[in-house]
Amino acid sequence: MLIMKNISKVFQTADIQTHALRDFNLTVNEGDFVSVTGPSGSGKTTFLNIAGLLETYTSGDFTLDGEDIGKLNDNGRSRMRNHKIGFIFQSFNLIPDLNLFDNVDVPLRYRGFDAKERKSRIEENLERVGLASRMKHLPSQLSGGQQQRVAIARALATDPRFLLADEPTGNLDSEMAQGVMSLLEDINKQGTTIVMVTHDAQLAQRSPRTIQVMDGRVSELDLHLASTNQQAIA
Amino acid sequence: MFTYYLRLAWISIIRHWGLSLVMICAIGLGIGAAMTTITVNYLMSANPIPHKSEQLFFIQLDSWDVNDPFDEGVNPPDQLTYTDSTNLMKANKAFRQNVQAQAYGVIEPEDADLLPISVTARANSADFFAMFDVPFIYGSGWSQQADTSKEQVIVLSKKINDQVFGGENSVGKTIKFDNNIFKIIGVIDHWQPKPRFYDITTGAFNESEDVFVPFSLIAEEKIRRSGNTNCWKPSGDGMAAFLAGECIWTQFWVELRTEQEKQDYMTFLNAYVEEQKQYGRFERPIDNRLSNVMQWLENQEVVADDARMMMAMALMFLTVCLLNTIGLLLAKFLGKAPEIGLRQALGASKATLFSQYIIESACIGFAGGILGLGLSFLGLIGIENLYGEYMQGLATLDITMMTFAIVLALVCTVVAGLYPTWRACNISPAQQLKSQ
Repeated sequence: MLIMKNISKVFQTADIQTHALRDFNLTVNEGDFVSVTGPSGSGKTTFLNIAGLLETYTSGDFTLDGEDIGKLNDNGRSRMRNHKIGFIFQSFNLIPDLNLFDNVDVPLRYRGFDAKERKSRIEENLERVGLASRMKHLPSQLSGGQQQRVAIARALATDPRFLLADEPTGNLDSEMAQGVMSLLEDINKQGTTIVMVTHDAQLAQRSPRTIQVMDGRVSELDLHLASTNQQAIA
Repeated sequence: MFTYYLRLAWISIIRHWGLSLVMICAIGLGIGAAMTTITVNYLMSANPIPHKSEQLFFIQLDSWDVNDPFDEGVNPPDQLTYTDSTNLMKANKAFRQNVQAQAYGVIEPEDADLLPISVTARANSADFFAMFDVPFIYGSGWSQQADTSKEQVIVLSKKINDQVFGGENSVGKTIKFDNNIFKIIGVIDHWQPKPRFYDITTGAFNESEDVFVPFSLIAEEKIRRSGNTNCWKPSGDGMAAFLAGECIWTQFWVELRTEQEKQDYMTFLNAYVEEQKQYGRFERPIDNRLSNVMQWLENQEVVADDARMMMAMALMFLTVCLLNTIGLLLAKFLGKAPEIGLRQALGASKATLFSQYIIESACIGFAGGILGLGLSFLGLIGIENLYGEYMQGLATLDITMMTFAIVLALVCTVVAGLYPTWRACNISPAQQLKSQ
């Protein structure tokens, strides 16, 4: 599904070179639910941006769903983002001037679906997140948790091959966070691959696989094994 | 997607109505000022007879004082002497030819209830009507025979025919004009070429005449001349002396259908002047001119310098307005950077985003164009009030100008929107999404 080999990303300014990722290697298989943890500045967000084709990389190989990303131009990357990837952001990133229906409609417009198809998908996905009755409301009329649900509906509307979630519960209280995580788990059980960046160790534990990014490199963590060992020692 | 972009543009304009209003006003003011002056220039410089302006020629001969050239030697005189006009008429070397002068008089209607009417008149040749495509509603012009025989015939304008005869067919009736009885042989429809190219000397934008009579009647003193008269030496007393003198007061037009006819006529003019030199006239170097309609309008500077200057200043003002609009659009679009980054993340390519925001610019431009059109109407009314009769009929927006106004607004705003849109499309989505 997602294969990164020796990916490096260098941010160059006039005086400074910043190596955000160094020899970054990661394989995510179809149906995986991967949490990405690490301290601030470790390269998690850079990894996510590269994975989501929002950022280019300096060197290495990146294959997404069989396509060599290095060979794609701007139009190709836009097409990949629209067809294959769904994004969920910490700040929800709903367009405030558009109601829920129109917000979920945005990626479908770029996909080129006709009006009937778009309507069907929007209703289906808003129903899926429990907000079908509030289709004509603006984002400002919803709570944080509801806004994040709408963002999830928008991410799912195009039937993406995988979801990228950047701190999806970062701006939510614990109750709402649990609700969103449950929704993501359900989505993963239905077959969607999820890669989630999070600071929250408890949330990371809810995903079957966790990787840690340190100094631009990745290492696998088995938080479930670590947790079991701690209990045994106790 | 076009209707989608229009909808997004509408939402954005309404959402940021204050900023949008400022931009619309900026464009509207610029377009209003520009279109006001462009319209005046357009109507001033319009071709009044496009289908034959290349075949009608105004004659200029330099019969002026050898020691004191007309127009400082830049141009020969803008009229001919009676001697030269009548000689050219007799020579009859053109397909059609017309000698003319402005005249005036008083019509005394038979109906005692109607007061005498002071009218403007044109004394012209028979070919005048066919040369200048004057439209008739009743009858026609007179023949060349009538010219030669100095018949007292008259063609009325619709306005005078309506006033005196209630709009009826008055052909065959008589009318008392300046104490002489004239037979009505034709009534012309409303005819107002703009500019009034056939006689620039008495006002390029004056109204066309109320009545038309044969030029030959001037020498008979049956009609009174008006118009410009310039003499470089005294002509002596009496009408005969005046007619034989070196005073210029007539205009001469010819119709030459082909380039060959034009060349032949110029050869004839040169030979004529050479011949007149033998009689002691035309002491200045030969400077015979055949100017077609547009050349003649250009020569006579019908589009006044101040009109051109006003247009140039208005276009500069429009440029300033557009520069302001660039800044405002830049602020607006960069303010939308988070949304742009999000749209990119959701699959919008740079080309897609470019289309969306250029269409938004165009919508603002369209609204500005509508406002500008309204301001142009007001501006033209103001100009008409300011300049009075001179500008009457020149201060109107026809469908061409209205369409031009909207297109100008659209094009200018789209051009102004290119840089802001390009900047917006090159926003790094990762940066914008991270900064949320």
